[in-house]
Amino acid sequence: MQQNKQLKRSDEPIWWGLFSAGGVCFAVFLPSIILFYGLLLPLELVILDYKQASQWFFGFWGLIFIGAVIIFPAFHSLHRIRHALYDVKFQQKTLIKWLTMGFAGLLSATSLLIWVIGS
Amino acid sequence: MELEVTIQRYLPEQSSEPFNQSYTVPYDTSTSVLDALTYIKEELDPTLSYRWSCRMAICGSCGIMLNGKPMLGCNVFLRDYVQTGMLIEPMAHFPVERDLIIDMESFLTHLEAVKPYLISKDSKESVQSFDPHNQTPRQLDKYQQFSSCINCGLCYSACPQFGLNPEFIGPAALTLAHRYNLDNRDAGQAERMPMINSEEGAWSCTFVGYCSEVCPKSVDPAAAVNQSKVTSATDLIFSLLGGRS
Repeated sequence: MQQNKQLKRSDEPIWWGLFSAGGVCFAVFLPSIILFYGLLLPLELVILDYKQASQWFFGFWGLIFIGAVIIFPAFHSLHRIRHALYDVKFQQKTLIKWLTMGFAGLLSATSLLIWVIGS
Repeated sequence: MELEVTIQRYLPEQSSEPFNQSYTVPYDTSTSVLDALTYIKEELDPTLSYRWSCRMAICGSCGIMLNGKPMLGCNVFLRDYVQTGMLIEPMAHFPVERDLIIDMESFLTHLEAVKPYLISKDSKESVQSFDPHNQTPRQLDKYQQFSSCINCGLCYSACPQFGLNPEFIGPAALTLAHRYNLDNRDAGQAERMPMINSEEGAWSCTFVGYCSEVCPKSVDPAAAVNQSKVTSATDLIFSLLGGRS
């Protein structure tokens, strides 16, 4: 073991932190989002028109929605995919990290950009 | 009653490849796999090599792969394998020296790397002081579960991450580090953190959890490693704020 080697601090706590936050969002918010958009809305049990939705989305609560339903869950899912790929022996760690975390970052940036433009 | 036991043999002076050899072993309800190995060595084939010592899941010497699962030979019985049969192999993820004997060197250096001993605030004082270090039951509770490790190495054979990257410090070493970090008599956390914080430390773990499943002493290394991740993440925040490194 490299006891004498200078040990480099891993940046993994950052990704793990985002992963953990995403896990909470998945457990707490995503089921209700699926219920709302996947069932209640198509079955017309609730009514939400476009104007109402866009007004709501491009306000403060829309920003919270982006964080809780898009950004954190994206980092959570792609963290899982990243480590699962390593587990099944795709060993290009750096490439996989850039692809997965990059995709999560891109998704986050795009959704935030849409919010900024729209509001 | 008799059971056919297949053992993966490796005799480097005879063949560069391992091969399987089967033996018929008599057994009763109390015959352990270690008893079977002893019977084979004494009665059937004296060339068979394996490690053992205490026969009661204390010493951690007789680790093997039994039908692909890491186990202590003394802790598992032939009576439970009548239906499935029995294939005994050396512990996975370690170099094999001969038959069931593996080279544990890397495991021991990994253990050593986390400084698994009490580091006092003032080492001079502790050497001179013979006063007892009293602990409350609550202080003991914090780390006691993680102190039952017998260094058998089964968790390393179970860990797919250690299999992929032998530089990974591994479940038992991280558990020991965590055990000492949780001990109120210890002041060595700052010395252990660089190892835990590194890529080869707690962060190589992907929480598969198989280590805790195979642990013969129910130490739950997966919990210790994941608690270490929280400690490491906190340590990062402190260091970013300019506190302890």
